[in-house]
Amino acid sequence: MKTIIEVKNLVKNYKSKRAVDGLSFDVMEGEILGLLGPNGSGKTTTMNCILALLKFDEGKIKIFGKEMAPDAYDIKSKIGVVFQDVAVFDELTVQGNIDYFCGLYIQDKNTRAEYVEDALKLVGLEENKTQYPKQLSGGLLRRLNIACGIAHKPKLIFLDEPTVAVDPQSRNNILEGIKKLRDDGATIIYTTHYMEEVEILCDRVIILDKGKIIASGTNDELKSLAKIEEKVTVEIPEMNPKQIGALEQIKNVSAVSYENGVLKLVYNRGKNNLADMIKYLDDNKIQYNKIFAERPTLNDVFLELTGKELRD
Amino acid sequence: MFWHSFKYAFSTLIKNRALMFWTLIFPFALALMFNLAFMRLHDYDVFEPFEVAVVNDAGYDKAEIFKEAFKALSEGDERLFNTQYVSKERASELLENEEIEGFVYIADDEPHIQVKKNGSNQTVLATAVEQIMQSSQIIEDIATQKLSESPMAYLNAEQIYQNAVATVAEAEPNVKDDSRVMNMVVIEFYTLIAMSCMQGAMLSSEMIDRALPKNSHRGKRIAVAPTRKSVVVASNLLASYSILLVGVLALIAFMRFVLGVEFGANLGLICAHAAAGSLAATMLGMFLSIALKTNSGAKNIIVIIITMVGCLFAGMFGGQKGWFDSMMPFINKISPVGLITDGYYALYYYEDLGRYWMNLGGLLIISAVFLILSIRGLRRQRYDSI
Repeated sequence: MKTIIEVKNLVKNYKSKRAVDGLSFDVMEGEILGLLGPNGSGKTTTMNCILALLKFDEGKIKIFGKEMAPDAYDIKSKIGVVFQDVAVFDELTVQGNIDYFCGLYIQDKNTRAEYVEDALKLVGLEENKTQYPKQLSGGLLRRLNIACGIAHKPKLIFLDEPTVAVDPQSRNNILEGIKKLRDDGATIIYTTHYMEEVEILCDRVIILDKGKIIASGTNDELKSLAKIEEKVTVEIPEMNPKQIGALEQIKNVSAVSYENGVLKLVYNRGKNNLADMIKYLDDNKIQYNKIFAERPTLNDVFLELTGKELRD
Repeated sequence: MFWHSFKYAFSTLIKNRALMFWTLIFPFALALMFNLAFMRLHDYDVFEPFEVAVVNDAGYDKAEIFKEAFKALSEGDERLFNTQYVSKERASELLENEEIEGFVYIADDEPHIQVKKNGSNQTVLATAVEQIMQSSQIIEDIATQKLSESPMAYLNAEQIYQNAVATVAEAEPNVKDDSRVMNMVVIEFYTLIAMSCMQGAMLSSEMIDRALPKNSHRGKRIAVAPTRKSVVVASNLLASYSILLVGVLALIAFMRFVLGVEFGANLGLICAHAAAGSLAATMLGMFLSIALKTNSGAKNIIVIIITMVGCLFAGMFGGQKGWFDSMMPFINKISPVGLITDGYYALYYYEDLGRYWMNLGGLLIISAVFLILSIRGLRRQRYDSI
């Protein structure tokens, strides 16, 4: 597999604050790489450095094997970018906006017209093409933002938090569209602080915090870093401290908490954990309602590595 | 690529209602308002002479020149005064009863004026008396030095009349002499054209904001495209300049053919001046967009401040252009508003085009300065922060 992006020892300072601290990573052809991290972790700054929008203090960036520069137009022609903020013209229709931005890459009118139609289809805005951005809902506007960034069928796509503040239907549509772009052969860099999206979409994930890579790998590789094996949540109307203390003694339990009628148990390893817990509840005649069991998430990994939640 | 960018820049700008209103529609509305405000001036087809009195005593008898001059101003269809020659007591009585606007009496060989209140009529009276005094001095000098056989021939009542009317025209425009009143009125309209040109800086500022990644999200998207920044900037500038120039020329046509404002006959130079004024404003807008990292609202406020201060110095808010020209002559030489206004003024009033070319040249120099400064800013390719 070809290396599409090579970032070596990237350092970017904003005056005295170090925003990106010695970042090095590669992006391989055809993969979706997730850049995951809380707000202010350096995801967008890294992206802007790669795109030659920002000066950086140290490091080297190569895209398609060539050094990236503001006037590297041959590289830029193969890149599509969807910025976090919606960047469209209120005075143009949906179709007009896509045509304008696509026209910065594609000069031939007929080809462009085809590409615009394809982009409309991809984001599901065919029926809205004559509408103006102000007539669109937040979710549809995000979809338009994406269409404007990818209509020219780029080989490398940067998506910076494209699903911020969108409704579930639009989010699903966007995520499906991104998968389709990958299936069509695009390489994608996806920055987000939504770990669920990364888990659904990304082949590989880089977790950033304070401008540094704190972990990277596939979802499973990252989750294996977590010390916990399983989390169980049980709705229990009433429990006393003695019962909670007794639960801590059950095999493999590493932590117990009870708050607002919800009991949470964390197991660090082992099998049949759920059965043991249910047996204890039944033996002690403790009434319970719903029970949820889940595997560790990337948030748990992040929590273990940094001591804070991803969305903090 | 250039025309693709131009087409959309033009189309988005023309659909921006707020910008179009303030830069294109508002000057038309203001021109109409100016016209309504100044329409009354043309209703004063005849200057109404007003009542005054002259104290007819021994002092008056001795003041030959004054007698002749005041008589000239009190006779004929185009007289300034309806004059009664009465005793001082009677004059005081008439003034007290407001039957006259004022009276003149001679004491110590000099005319003195007595008025009850201040107003344009009193100003005309005072100016006329002062002008007579100045003429008297010239005539006396000519007589003393025996430079002429008939020194009274140097008494120019017409000149006194003109100066008195002009003085009041400066303070209050409701006077007869149309040609002099037009001095003020046309300047108001010329400053309005200058204002319209200058408001165009908002258009170019907005268009450059759109093209630069540090100023807008759309600029970021354009910056990552394989399109030269210079192409997008040039096409955006051309779009804003075209719209502005068409708007300004339409405003001039509206003023000339609908409102009847005089511009002179040289159509080519009238248009050239509009083009140069619009160019200066367009370059100013580009410079502000590049130099300032503020939102477009703040930049628009700066454009409005520059424009309105320029309009003040150029004479939009009354007859102070002459005062500023004499007290602070450099202001109107470096202000685009001053250069635009004075260019039109020169085109209309002077046969010689020297003054016009100076103004046109000034506008082109200002445009070049802003362009050079802007290019320096535009050459930056990566930013420390965006």
